[in-house]
Parts: sequence; C-alpha cells; structure tokens
Amino acid sequence: MSIQVILALAVFVGAYILIATEKVPRVTVALVAAALMVIIGATDEKGIFFSQDSGIDWNVIFLLLGMMIIVGILQQSGVFEFLAIWAAKRAKGRPFVIMVMLVVITAVLSAFLDNVTTVLLIAPVTLLICDRLNVSPVPFLIAEVMASNIGGAATLIGDPPNIIIASRAGLTFNDFIVNMVPIIAILLVVFIGLCWLMFRKQLSFDPTMVARVMALNERETIRDKILLIKSLGVLVLVVTGFILHSVIHLEPAIVALLGAGLLVLITRLENRKIFADVEWQTLLFFAGLFIMVGGLVSLGVIEAVGQAAIEAVGDNFFAAAAGLLFGSAIFSGIIDNIPYVATLAPLVNDLVQAGGPAAEPLWWALALGSDLGGNATAVGASANVVVLGIAMRNGHPISFWTFTKYGLIVTAVTVTLCLPYLWLRYFAGG
Amino acid sequence: MRASDLQSSFPMVGRDTTAVQAARIIAAQDLAGLVIADRAGAPSAVISAVDVLGLMVPGYVVDDMSLAGVLDENAAEEVWDKAGQHTIGDLLDDDGVRKYELVRVDADDTILEVAARMADARAQIALVNGPLGSPAQFVTLPVLMDSIVTFCAPADAAHADA
Repeated sequence: MSIQVILALAVFVGAYILIATEKVPRVTVALVAAALMVIIGATDEKGIFFSQDSGIDWNVIFLLLGMMIIVGILQQSGVFEFLAIWAAKRAKGRPFVIMVMLVVITAVLSAFLDNVTTVLLIAPVTLLICDRLNVSPVPFLIAEVMASNIGGAATLIGDPPNIIIASRAGLTFNDFIVNMVPIIAILLVVFIGLCWLMFRKQLSFDPTMVARVMALNERETIRDKILLIKSLGVLVLVVTGFILHSVIHLEPAIVALLGAGLLVLITRLENRKIFADVEWQTLLFFAGLFIMVGGLVSLGVIEAVGQAAIEAVGDNFFAAAAGLLFGSAIFSGIIDNIPYVATLAPLVNDLVQAGGPAAEPLWWALALGSDLGGNATAVGASANVVVLGIAMRNGHPISFWTFTKYGLIVTAVTVTLCLPYLWLRYFAGG
Repeated sequence: MRASDLQSSFPMVGRDTTAVQAARIIAAQDLAGLVIADRAGAPSAVISAVDVLGLMVPGYVVDDMSLAGVLDENAAEEVWDKAGQHTIGDLLDDDGVRKYELVRVDADDTILEVAARMADARAQIALVNGPLGSPAQFVTLPVLMDSIVTFCAPADAAHADA
C-alpha cells in the first residue's frame, strides 16, 4: 500500500469520524477532506470536474438544486398546511385518525419533496392541531418524521441517497416507482399499525375539544391561489417529465432545472423568495463528498475493496443483499446516510457490473437499508434532528432516547420486512 | 455635553420575567427594547421589543406564518393567555434570537463618542460605566438623538443657506 493510499484513507476515515460526531459542520469537513485529497494527489481538476467515475456527480447536484427551487416556491402557497388542517377536520378531532391521516400525507409528500422540507411544513401545523386538541404533539411528531423517512424511500427524488443511487446505477424515476413503491406501501400500512401499538395510550380523545379543531379555517392558509396553481402545475409537469424519461430522454436533473426555470419565469418572484430554500451548504457538502470518495476511486481503493467484495459474494447475491440491507440500516442509524451511500455506491456498482442483472437488486437493498435506517436513532436522519429542534423550541422536548426507543422498533420491523420482499421479488424464482 | 449629562435609569428585566410582564413594561414606557440583568442583577444584554413580541406568539406560528390566519378570535384569546407561560430566559436560550451586547461608554465620553459606539453596534441603548455598586445608568437612543439635533442648524436655516 503506497503512502498516497494510506494518506487518502486517513483523510477519508477522519472525515467520516468528524461527520459522525458532528463536532465540526459537515460541509466544512467534506470540503477540507476534498482539498486534502487534491493536495495528496489523489485527484485533480479533470477528475473533480469531468470524470463520471471519480468526479462531482453534477446530475445529483443539479437535481437537488432544481427541486429545492421548485419546492421552495411551492411551499409558499400554503397548500400543505391546508391539507393537514383539512385532514384533522375530516377526522373530527379523533387523535389516532388524525395521526393516520398526517402520517399518510407526510409519507406521500416526502416521496416528492425532501424529508427535511416535508417535516418543516408538517410540524408547525401538527403543533397547532395538537394545541387545539390539548394532546401532546410528541407522538405525532415522531410518527410524522418516521413516515417521511419511509415515504421518502419510494421515489428517485424522495431522499438524497436515492438520487445518488439513481445517478450511479442509471436507474430511472419509473424504476424506483416499480421497485420501491410496493414495499413502501406495505411498510406504511405496517407502520400505522405500529403507531397504534406504540402511541395509542398517549392519544386520549376529548370530545369537548373537537369544536376547537373544527373552528380552524384552513382556507386562510392559501394566501396566493395563483402561485398555488402555477407551482402545483409545474410540479406535475416535472414529475411527468421524470416518468416520461424513456420518451423524452432528458435526465432528471435537466427536467428539474427546466421546471425550476419555468416556475421562476411565470411566478416572477423576487430572488430572495426564489432561492430562500436552496441549501447551498448541502450542495457543497455533496460536492465535497464526491471529491473525497472520488479520490479513493482514482487511487484504486474502491476497486480493490469491490474486487474483494465480488470474491466474497460469489454468486450468492441474496446473502449480499441481506448484508447490504441490514448493514446499511445499522450504519445509517449512526451516521449520515448521504456520505454512506456516496461511498457504497461505487462499490455496489462494481458488484453489479460483475454480477450482471442477477446482482441489480443490490441497489434496492442499499436504498431500502440506508433510507429506512435513518429512523433508528434521533440523529439517523437530518429530518429527525430538525423535528427534535422544533419540538424543543415549542416546549415539547423529545429526548434522544425517547425517539430512539421507538425508532429502533420501527427500523427493526420495517427493515426486516424488506428481506422477504427482496427474496420474493428478485431471488425466489432463480 | 458628556454621557453623564444624558444618562438616566432604565427598566431592567431578569430571566424569570414573563413575556407578559416584559410586554407591559415596554407598552407602558414606549420602549424599543429592554435591558436584561444577569443573575447578580447587573445589566448584561439588550433584547429588542420585537423579540419580546415574538415570544408571545406561538412557536408554530413563528415557524409557519400561514397558520396565523386559521385561528379565530376565541382561539387567539387563548393564545395570548398562554403567552404568559414564556419567560425572558426562554428568549435568551433561543439561538434564533439576537442578543445585543450591551454597549458601554464612560461618563466623560463626548456625545460623538457615544453616538459612534452606538451606531457601530447598532445599539438603542448604552450603559454608562459608573462606580461599583451604584445604580446602573443608561443613554438611550431618543435622548441621544434629541441632544444631537440641538447642535444641528434648524431645517429652515439649512434650506435658506442652500
């Protein structure tokens, strides 16, 4: 092993530890690690900017950017708050029915929006509804953030790891719909059952509070109907563009950017509002990660590990899928699933290249494990951290262990259910 | 004219002061902010009246403005009742609220020195350093402005010169 490889591995491991411990902002860690990879000669400008194997994955960066702009404008319409209050009124103030409706709304929304945005939209209105019902919002908030992590796994754009996987594997929006939606729908039903088991004792129904919920005027949330129509229309166009990929031959990143451009053009909002929800730090974090992992790819480290994995797996791809599913869930519960998937994606790509179509389900195992594993602990996903912060600010603190005791149950059940799905869907016939 | 010529006492609140108590002080004396005393009773920071207002509005409405309109008048009354539960301590612990460092000036500082320090710190109030144990004295922005304009030429005269 050369000095260069040892140094690159040291940079990689050090960055992982710093990202996991959150002692230093993750974007700083990723960018410094990327710079160190350049300094030690693991990569260069050609590798960083122009290499498909070891460079920045521009498809991922620009797909995220486009969706951030679209969602940032759409959320100003108030449609999500309207839906949540409408659901609470249809449920006639019964807490568990409200929880089920909010869980379903959150899961469906997070299939199309990123999970952090989804919980930022749904958490305040949940606090309002719980305040009116005079019930603790804690079970609702925990259920919603878990639903967003489950629902986000359903589509290519629902969770950043899926975007990375899609780009590396060449998978389309429809591939995700066909392969992920069936299991996510099952998991959502099971999750609602788990909510009943876990939270039913905390959801007491007080009929005298119903009038307070029914008095809420959801129409007041829609301040700008024209903006709502325009932004929903563009979102529908963009999703249609994703679905018609095989016909129009436009990559998801291009579709999202065209949609964002169209929305900017027709809404004529000021720049401050257009770019308010673009998380530049997240985009830079992704760029830094790609450069860092790309350094290991350029030095042949990933290929060597991939070769070892190919030999270890042989043709037992079901065992590999099981290992990847549970291993990813455990890792994603402890560390950010974005760097995890950014590292694992080139490795899985090597396995799939070597194994052919029989090895393709490994991508789905990676996606399911890394997406669902985020529910395991309070720090397993960015959305969890955001919801804990909102709960704390509003006087309903959720401790790490309160979240984690529910998270471990949900993760264990949902990830375990994925195993028979993978076997029945991809391996049972062979 | 020196800082000591402009100084006066100013209401101070502590961590335990409720949002409603703070609001009453602001409303009664037409203040733009409040000085916060530390646990020993010494002035330590300044918060704006707008942040006290934010403390009285439910967190979920601060997080999502579109929810402000969904509550009817009866519900809004309950909201204001609950506002009393929050304290200035909650405000100090909130990372999202800007706590202005207390600007300190000496009693013999000129008005220009005081004005420069307050303008630089974007402060509405400055603490005048005094002898240990003496009651805290402050220079406020309206008093400072009032003394500055006495030095300026009357508006009509300025026009005539032009």
